[in-house]
Parts: sequence; structure tokens; C-alpha cells
Amino acid sequence: MSKKLNVLISALFIFSVILTACATPTPQTITVVETQVVTVKETQVVTVKETQIVAVVPTAAPLDAAAVAAALPRNETLYFNGQQWGPVVGWNPYSSSNNNAMAISQQDSARVTMFETPYLYNMLDGKQYPLLADGDYAWNDARTEITFKIKAAAKWSDGTPVTAEDYAYTWATHVKYNTPTGAGNKDYIEDIVAVDAQTVVIKAKLNAEGKAVNPLLVSAFVSTNYVIQKAWTEILEARVGGDATALLADPAEDVVYSGPYHKFYTDDTKVVMVRDDNYWGQDASMWGKLPVPKYLAHAIFKDNAAGFVALQVGQVDVSQQFNANIQDLWLKNMLPISTYLPEAPYGIGASLPTAFFNLKSHGLDQVAVRKAIAMAVDYDTIISNAMTNQSATFNQVPRSLMNPTPGEQALYNHEAVKDLQWAGKDYEGAKALLDEAGIVDTDGDGWREYEGKKLSYVATCPNGWSDWQAAIEVVAAAGKEIGIDITSNYPEWSVYQTVVTKSDAPLAEGYDIFMMWSAGAGPTMPWGRIRNLLSSEFVGMASNWNGNWGQYSNPEVDALIQAIPGETDEAKLIEMYTELVRIYLTEIPSFTLMYRPQSFHAVNETIWTNFPHQDDGTNPPVPPLNLTDGWSIAGLYNLMLTTP
Amino acid sequence: MSYLLQQAFRSGKFVFGFSIFATILLIVFIYPLVIPDPPLEIIGQGTFFEPGIYVNVYDSIRAPTYILNLRGAAANRIASRLNQADRLAMKEWLMAGGGIAEDEIDIEDTALLLGLWVNHYSPTKNVPGMTNARRNYFARLDISLRGLLSTEGVSVAVKNPDTGVLEETSFIAQSDYANINQVANVRVLPLGTDNFGRDMLTQLVAATRVSLIIGFIAGLLATLIGLALGLLGGYIGGIVDDVIMFITNLFIVIPSFVLLILISFSIGQEKRGAITVALVIGLTSWVWTARAVRSQVISLRNRDHVNLSKLSGHSIGYIIVSDIFPYIASYVVMAFILQISSGILAEAGLSILGLGPRTTEFPTLGLMMNWAMIYQAQILGKWWAYLPVLIIIALITFSMNLMNTGLDQIFNPALRE
Amino acid sequence: MKGYWKYFLNKFGWFLITFVCAFLLNFTLPRLMPGDPVAAIVSRLAQGMSDATGVQAIYQQYADLFATNQPMHEQFFIYIRNVARGDFGFSFSQYPRTVAQVIKGSIVWTLALQFPAIIVGWLIGNTLGALAAYLKGGFDKVLMPISIFISNFPAFGMAVILMVVFGVYLQWFPTSGGYGFDLIPTLSWNFIWSVIVHYQLPFWSIVLIAIGGQAIGMRSMAIYELNADYVKYSRFLGIKDRKIIGYVFRNAMLPQITGLALSVGTMVGGALVAEIIFSYPGLGFTLLTAVRGQDYPLISAATLIITIMVLSANFLIEILYGFIDPRIKAAQAD
Repeated sequence: MSKKLNVLISALFIFSVILTACATPTPQTITVVETQVVTVKETQVVTVKETQIVAVVPTAAPLDAAAVAAALPRNETLYFNGQQWGPVVGWNPYSSSNNNAMAISQQDSARVTMFETPYLYNMLDGKQYPLLADGDYAWNDARTEITFKIKAAAKWSDGTPVTAEDYAYTWATHVKYNTPTGAGNKDYIEDIVAVDAQTVVIKAKLNAEGKAVNPLLVSAFVSTNYVIQKAWTEILEARVGGDATALLADPAEDVVYSGPYHKFYTDDTKVVMVRDDNYWGQDASMWGKLPVPKYLAHAIFKDNAAGFVALQVGQVDVSQQFNANIQDLWLKNMLPISTYLPEAPYGIGASLPTAFFNLKSHGLDQVAVRKAIAMAVDYDTIISNAMTNQSATFNQVPRSLMNPTPGEQALYNHEAVKDLQWAGKDYEGAKALLDEAGIVDTDGDGWREYEGKKLSYVATCPNGWSDWQAAIEVVAAAGKEIGIDITSNYPEWSVYQTVVTKSDAPLAEGYDIFMMWSAGAGPTMPWGRIRNLLSSEFVGMASNWNGNWGQYSNPEVDALIQAIPGETDEAKLIEMYTELVRIYLTEIPSFTLMYRPQSFHAVNETIWTNFPHQDDGTNPPVPPLNLTDGWSIAGLYNLMLTTP
Repeated sequence: MSYLLQQAFRSGKFVFGFSIFATILLIVFIYPLVIPDPPLEIIGQGTFFEPGIYVNVYDSIRAPTYILNLRGAAANRIASRLNQADRLAMKEWLMAGGGIAEDEIDIEDTALLLGLWVNHYSPTKNVPGMTNARRNYFARLDISLRGLLSTEGVSVAVKNPDTGVLEETSFIAQSDYANINQVANVRVLPLGTDNFGRDMLTQLVAATRVSLIIGFIAGLLATLIGLALGLLGGYIGGIVDDVIMFITNLFIVIPSFVLLILISFSIGQEKRGAITVALVIGLTSWVWTARAVRSQVISLRNRDHVNLSKLSGHSIGYIIVSDIFPYIASYVVMAFILQISSGILAEAGLSILGLGPRTTEFPTLGLMMNWAMIYQAQILGKWWAYLPVLIIIALITFSMNLMNTGLDQIFNPALRE
Repeated sequence: MKGYWKYFLNKFGWFLITFVCAFLLNFTLPRLMPGDPVAAIVSRLAQGMSDATGVQAIYQQYADLFATNQPMHEQFFIYIRNVARGDFGFSFSQYPRTVAQVIKGSIVWTLALQFPAIIVGWLIGNTLGALAAYLKGGFDKVLMPISIFISNFPAFGMAVILMVVFGVYLQWFPTSGGYGFDLIPTLSWNFIWSVIVHYQLPFWSIVLIAIGGQAIGMRSMAIYELNADYVKYSRFLGIKDRKIIGYVFRNAMLPQITGLALSVGTMVGGALVAEIIFSYPGLGFTLLTAVRGQDYPLISAATLIITIMVLSANFLIEILYGFIDPRIKAAQAD
């Protein structure tokens, strides 16, 4: 007996020793961190291959992070949520798979915290303001070349000046290694050359008639893509030995940047960037001062709920996530939280989440059926329930192809398409339309038939995309009201995307009505959005991430989309856009379900205040894009402490 | 059997557990008979309406009017729009933005306070150090205070369809009351609505039913598989036992929850009906039953009566059914009960991860919980959207565990108090 | 001792086979899921691309890199070769991070959260169960049902309630993260304290659930043993009560220890909910995101870790049993 007991006890003892070892992970983690730091430093000097393996280590903190006080001073740190999901992968501005939302995002309003673009796009007035560039850019008379100068004050983090040569070399590298930027723009940009140290010329690709293929995309390039240092790029090229995949996979821990912030610390739970106090932008020719917060920090939350709690308890200052019923935070909980607009829709709608019809599904090739469904949907319920009123209603902003910003709304003739804009929940109108088209219930089962076959559809969107799912439920409910059987279905995103983006084959069963996004605000909008929604150039594409997933095709529309970028006459443009809206609302290859802001933007003013809000007196107005994207970074220079 | 039942009902634990469970079952069956509304119908335009009695405003205007002169009515009316915190805030603004001295402001004197407010407040005035959130608050407060002290009633007017002019149809005085029984449309929402604007209680009852069915099917399947494998492995032994144990071990080293996630994901939402989910849960959760049955059978297989049966030349099937099964039947019943409750929990767990049954057809407890959390009910204090769900799940599993413990005491006399 | 070696080798053989099969399943199962993981990566890369000329090329590049365009058995051999060298490959969903890096970032937290939670839950549960069996009366009738009721809350429900009550309303404990939102990990008291404080809610949400089941099991076993013949016999022999109780609870413990070893397997799944609700770093969420992103190498590696943990815990227990339990000893002689 006692022997067995001894064995048992010693076994338990060993077990508990193991456990205590596991239970105190803290010191171990830290030793790990520190040794890794050393490795990084060494490998960067020694060999190339190993850097790739070691340097990505997410826990690797720069040495100064450990030296500085362990806590970030609350009064010097601006906290974010909703941008970064999952740990950072790298700091490589050539790659778009860094999962590094705080530093790298080259989109319509490019993120300019660490890397910078020549111009900053402002979604509120639609203008591009110079950042690295000196003054506005100029087209030549033939509209085939853009010329601008780089600011003399612009410097890299290593102190060397930013030159036109850097810009030219960045483009050359994008093309040479076929990066997403290179591949996406080389059909429109012939070359970028440095005339002298400061002067850049962007040459547009010309079509057979000697005109630029697409001047709109050329001028958008200057505010959507970063300038990257030539000297560093050459180091990178040497490191990867000219291999394109390796170049894009390089974590680029040693990258040289020109922006006001850079990496301070990252691990699985947060990303912290620190201000570069030598930032060139404090020169009088740009901002004239440094941005206010010393640190930009982003905790990595597992879901919206966790991020929402953090906003509520004041651990997040700027929230870029969908916070359902956000008004309760100030109405019921009396918290110092506000959004860009004081009342619903709280933000400025910029993109149009859209339901696409599969035009090959039985009956959906009929305009009457498409229109009836679109008319029957109860958009007010979608907006109040799915979006908790964080979208303008279709009574406030009637449907078109434009987002609710005044700039875009002015681009079409409202009166001309007034009769075509439906408000929704019009069951009688929808039924009448179907009856008129002869699509009626012939066998008395309560569902309408077309050519003898019951109209039965599946409405779908990715699983877990809560506001979209709620919207799809409302679409399904609308069908039942008008005798069309619509059921809903939510495949996982990884499955959904493969089906929807495979435009070289008919859509799979179960994708009759499906939701996808449409582009938001940007320098090419609304043209870019309309192209994505309607252009037939995406039909038959093997991997179509652009749009027109329902595979709509109309030569008239294609011609208009082709013509708009080269058109400079304002009146003509309005005419063309109005025509596009008219066709869109008549043919209904897809329909908008709600308006969605470019970024959600809610702020907690416990620590910081003077965030951008409507009529905040800024000129040019600072857009509500989380003080990181495009012109909204100007907001970082206006921040103040609530209690100094 | 009747003896056992009699015994069972003498166990306090069993009776307690059984009565909770029976109550839930009764409600699940009777409620839909009384309120036959479809549980997934979206009735509310807006999210998370609070529990309460919703009176149709349009109908109450048209309901017979009674005049009640109640003393506190005016005060209540003011208090509902202007609370103590608001008064303090007004004082703060008047001092900071209006330049009024502190002793000039008496926040208890509503008329005086309002007078000062109306005279001095301006939404465009920039008070230094004031946050945007605070500015918005004052702007909202200013709007809500309008007409606060009015003793006038309101006119109801209808637009004349021909002329487009508003024509007064009735006048409502502040002392007018309607009897709620005489209002044409009154809807009681005992648990409010959820994020879709669906009646929570109706949905909860329907969801409980579906979850019970899922639990039952999953439990039945798991118990049957576990029982069959346990009996075979335990009684036949040798290579059969080795193979069965091997399969069981595989299921243990790749934990069922991981399998559950993988399989549910692979099936895809379009095919994940409630029954499919139940079957998947059943297929991945039989391991414990199998192991336990096997060990029981091993201890039984060398008992005298079994050996006797073997000697009399009975077939394996006969021996298993008539000589072994009766001895473990009680255990199997208890395992079954536990499997049902763990099936319900598994469905809820899957749904929380977004891998539960598809949403349009039936509500389940897990799905309700999932949606409540997606729309952050727990953080915004919308308790009615998630707490009742949790309590129902806990009550079901609790009652089953109690019944199980009760049965345990009956079948194992040693455990009786 | 010869019998024991035979027992040991037999067990070891089966464990080896189990391991091989589990390894095979760990590789195959994730790859049977529908969908195309490379398409997901391309979607990330293609963001902002205004034209599709390059999209197809990028797709091809990554399909080659991850070898997803090769037949399954080829992929398997490549995988085995790499794993044998300790290389689990690139994570698809977090490319260019490797699987090893991803797992290294999360496994410490899982071990730190789950292991102690399981042990504490097990200890409290067994103590409660044993006391209930021994003391009976009010303790058994009141405390037991309460602990059963608490542990019948679904895991996520417990986590949500704890968070709402202690995190949001009382604000006693932080609601998310593994350490302070304003901290950078250093070896300081400040940091360690912050880790401990952040640890509380996820920890208790697991422990409270674990208690009830253990308590019920222990109570039954203990009552069973208390009424066993050897107890009566010992009493008859006049052996001291305390000594008897010692025997009784030790015997009742044995099956409970098996349960403990096996619950190591449910560890990752069990912590998943707590990880999500408290945004706590860990393996469970890594696994879930891997499944959602069809990150085959990451799923395989994570499940392999679970497999190895369960197998070794199981093996250890079985081997110990061979030493301890007379009944198994007897079976060896069969």
C-alpha cells in the first residue's frame, strides 16, 4: 500500500512541478523576448537567409522599448481599435500582406503614419493636398504627363533627403517584381522618371490615338502609393537576390521611412508605434510641428465586442469598428464618447454595400423580377436593425451610384432619374410589376412561377458578417411578401470568396442574390465604383476581386465607363453619370442595401479631445478617417488633452 | 420498472430536477398554442426594445378619453425629461458658458433654471475645455427641454388630401388618459426584442424546443454508438476490443471539440440544419459512453451467471442482450441524460463560434446567444437579450444533472443518504 | 516484472499506432475542408489592385509556394519531411510568418491559463466532492447543488457573466488582453501584477465550470468506497478512522486522476471561449482562426500539439496504473 502511495505522491509531485513551471510563464516569456532581440540584431548583419526566418519574430521588441519605461504614458498615447486584427507580419511597404494596418495601407486614402505618399486625398472635399510633394501637380496640355516637385524639406528617417529618384525607383521596383501596385497600374502608367533631384514626371500609358489610357488612375496614383527609399530598396533586393516572392515576403524590419511614426513594439496582443521627433514634417513647409501623441497604440482584440468594451472603459480613444447601438454609450451610459455627426447616421456614408443578382439564375434574367425584389426590400428595417441607424436612409439620400458625400451627389441630375428611385417596402408596387410581366402564381401554391418554374432563390453573404447577415434576412423576408421564395444562407468567408470571385464560370448554386462591397471614397470615385459595379471587363476573369460579380454586360455602359476618365467638361460628366445612374436603376443588375462609412469613427474623449467632427472649423476639413488615412492625419496635429 | 419509478420519485433530487425539466417542457408545448406567432418574424424596427407593455400611440389617441387630475403628474412629466444630473450639468454650462455666478443659479427651481437656460444657452458658443461629446449632450438637452413647462395640450391634425392643409381633428390635454384595455393594439413584450426586432420570449420558447430536440438526437446517437462499441469491445475482448479502443483513443487524442469545429466548418452553413448539427455532435461525443460501458462490461463478463449462460450455449448476441445489458441499463440511462445536456451545451458552444445551425429556419439557444453577443447586448446592458437564454440553458442542464444524481442514488443503493 | 514489460510494450505499441494514425488524420482532415486557402491570400494581395492582370500570376505563385496544387500524397510526403526537420512550414493565413512563430506566440498563454485552471478546478471539485461525501448533511444538500448549478452554465455564459459583472459594472478586473493595455512586457512588478490581474477573469470562468463535474464524480466514488467491504472490515479491526478515510479517498481518487489526464485534451477547446470573450492570447483562438482561414499547416500543427499532450498524459497515467492498481496487475497475468 505505502509503496503505491509513494509512487502516486511522487507522480503528483512531478506533475505539480511541471505545472508550477508552466504557471509562471512571465519570466520565461521575457527572456525569450530579449534573446530574440539580440538575434535580430546579429542576423541582420550576418546572412540573408536567416533574417527571413528570424526577423519576423512578432515578439521581437526593439532594444529601446525595453529601456524605456514599461508603461506607455496615457497622456502621450493615442489608442485605436478596429484596424489591426491579428498579429503584425511585417513592415514591408512593397507587400500588401503585412497585416500591419497601423502602418501600411495603400488605398484610396492611403495610411501615412509611417510611409508617405506625395499627396494626401481628402474625402470631404475630394482634393489632393501635397505631403511629400511641393505644390499641386500639373498635367501637360495633352494630358499625358503629370509633373510635380518633391519638397526640399522631405527627409528619410536616416536623415537623407527624399528625392525624385526615390520615387522613380519605387515605381521601377514595383514593375520589376510585379508587386500588386505594379501589376495593378502598369496598364495605365508608362513610366515614372526623375527629371532632376526634385522633379518627378509620371508618363501615362497611351492608347492608339495617343491619348492617356486612363488619366484618372494616373492622377490617383500620387495619393494612393508610397514613396520608398531607393537605397533601402537596393539593400532589400540584394538580400532577396532578386527573387520576387522573397521580396514580397521580406518582413523589412530595417525599412527606412519618411513618416512621423515607426515601430516601437509588437506582439500577439498589441502594436505600438512611436513618434520620430526628427520627423521632417515639422518643417514650416509642411505641418510646422510634430503630431501631438508620442505613441500610437492598437490593442488586438478577438472580436468587436472586446474592442467595444475597451472603448467604453476608456482604453481606446479612436474606434474604427462597427459598434452597434453606439448612441447608448452617451445617451444611457453618459460616457464622453462621440461620433463625427452628433445624430444618426453618426458617420459619413462612403461605400454602398450591394446585393448582386446572379443574372443567370432562373427568372433573374427578367428585369421585372429583379426590380420587384429590390422594391419589396424593407430598407428602413435594414438600416435601423442591421446597421442600428448608422447609415443614411434612402429617403434622405435616394439611390443612385453615388455615395452620400455632397461631391458625388452633385455629379448626377437628381430630377432626371427621380421616377426610377424606389424607396423600398413597396409590396403592392412589386406585385403589380410582376403581375404586369405575367409572372404570377399559376399553380396556387403561393409562389410565383416564371415559364412554369417556381421562383425560388437563395440570398447569401459570408458567415459572421453580422450587419450583412441581418440585411440578407430582411431581403429574404421581402421575397415572401411578394410570392418569391427567398431563403438565406451564410457560407464561411473562405468558401464564399472563392465562389464569388470566380467569374470565369457561372456562379454556383445557392448564389442567386449575394452581397459584396462596392468602393468607398477616393480620388477615382465615383468612376471607380461604377466601373466595379457595371463594367463587363470583369466578366470571365478567373480571379475577379474588382466587381460586377453578377456578370452584367452592356456595351453602352462600357462605352460610358471608357469615356469618363478622359472627359474634363463638367457638364458632360454630369450628363454621362446621369445616364449611368438611369441605366443602373432601370436594369438593376445589383442594388444598394445601405450606406456605410469609409471607416467607422467613434472617439472617447476621456483623455484626448478636439477630434474631427462636423463643423469643427478645420479648413480644409479633416475627414473622419481615424487620424491616420489621407488628409485625416492632419487631425493628429490638432489633438489636445482633455485635462491638460 | 414501476418500482424503479416509484423509487425515483422518492429521491428529492430527482423530483426537483424532474419538476424543473417538466415545467420547461410544458411551457415549450403550451406557449405556442396560446401565442402562435412565428418566432422569427421581425416585428420591431430597431434593436433591443426593452421588456414592457407597448401601447399603440395612434390607437390610444382614438381610444375613449378619461380625465384624471393626478397631483404628481406634472412633476413626473418634468422629471422624466430633466433629472438631477441634467440640472447640475445645466448649472455647469451656465457658469462656464453663460458667465452666471453660482449663487444666481438654483437648480431646484425648475422655472428659474429654465429661464436662465433659454436666455443664455447657445449651441454654437464654444466653451473652452469642453469635449465634443459634452457639447452634443447640451445640444440634445436643449432640444428635450423645449416646452417642458408648458401646461397646454397638443393638437392632433390630419393633412387634408385635397388642399394639403393641416386640419385639427382632436386635442389632447395633459390630463387626458386612456384605459389600456380600450386601446385597440397593445403588445406585451415580456422579454423585449432582440437585435433583429424579434419578440424575445416567443423566440426563446421556440429555441428551447429546437435545442432540446438537438440535444435529444445528439444524446441518443452518442449513447447508441457508445453502447454498441462498449458492449462489443468489453464482451468480445481481444482484437475487437483493441481495435475499438484504438478508435476511441483516436477520438480522445483529437479532441471532439476540434473535430466538431472541423466538421461543422466543412459541412458549410448551407447544409447545417438543426438535425445535421445534432448528428455531428452525436457522432463526435460517444467516446466517454463507450469507455465507461466497456469497463462495466469487462467487470461483468466473468460473473457466474454470464459464464453459466455461455455454458448453456447461448449466442453472443443473446448473452449481451439478456445477461449483460440489464446490468448496465441503469448506467446507460444516466449516460443518456448527461449526453442530452452536453449535446445542448455543444450546440450552444458551436453557435457562439458562428458554426451553429443555419439561422433562417429555426432559432436555437446558441444562435440567440450568438446574435445577442454580436450586437453587444451584454456590454450595453441589454440583459433581456442574453440572460434568459443563459438561464434556460443552465436550468435544462442543471435539471438533467439533478435527475442523474437522483437516479444514481437509486441504482447504487450505496449512494443513498 | 516480465508481465509488466509485456504490458508496457503492448501499451506503447498501441500508443505508437495511435500517434501515427492521429498524425495522418491531423494532416488529412483539414485538407478535406472545402474552399481554396490560396484564394484568401490572393484576396489580401489583390486589395487595391485596379486591374486583374497580375491577380492570376500571384495566385499561381502562391499555389506553387504552398504546394496546394500538388496531389495530396505528395503534399503529405513533403510535410513529413519538413516536420521531421522541425519545420512546420509557413502559415497560410499569416504568411510570411511561419507556423512555429505563430504557435510560439500563443502556446505559453494557453499553458499558463489552462493548466492551472484545470488543476485548481480539479482540486477544488474533488475536495468539495469528498467533503460532501464525508460530512453529508447540509453541506451535501446545499453546497453541492449550488456548485452543480454554477457549473451547468455554459462556458461562454460564465465568461460573459463574469465579464459583465466584474469587468464592466464593478470594473474590478480588466476585460481584455493578457496584460495591461498600456504596458510593454518587461520584467517588472508592474508587468507581472498586470498579468496576474488580467488572468483572473478567464481563469475563474474555467475553474467555476470545472468544479461541479469533478465534485459529483468524487462524491459518488467516495460514497461508494466509504460503503465498501474493506472499510467495514477495517472498522471491525479497529483501525483508526483517519487512516481509513485516507485509504478511502485515495482509492476514490484513482479514476479522478484518469479524468484529469484526459481533460488535458479538452484544454484547448475549453479555453477557446474564454480566449475569445476576454481577448486573451492562446492556442484555441489560433486554431479557430486557422480553421476559418483554412490554414492547413497551422491547423495540423495545433492539433498535433494537442494530440501529443493528450497522448503523453494518457500514456503516463496508464503506465503509472500498471504500477499502482492491483486490478490491472491482475489483468496483466491474464
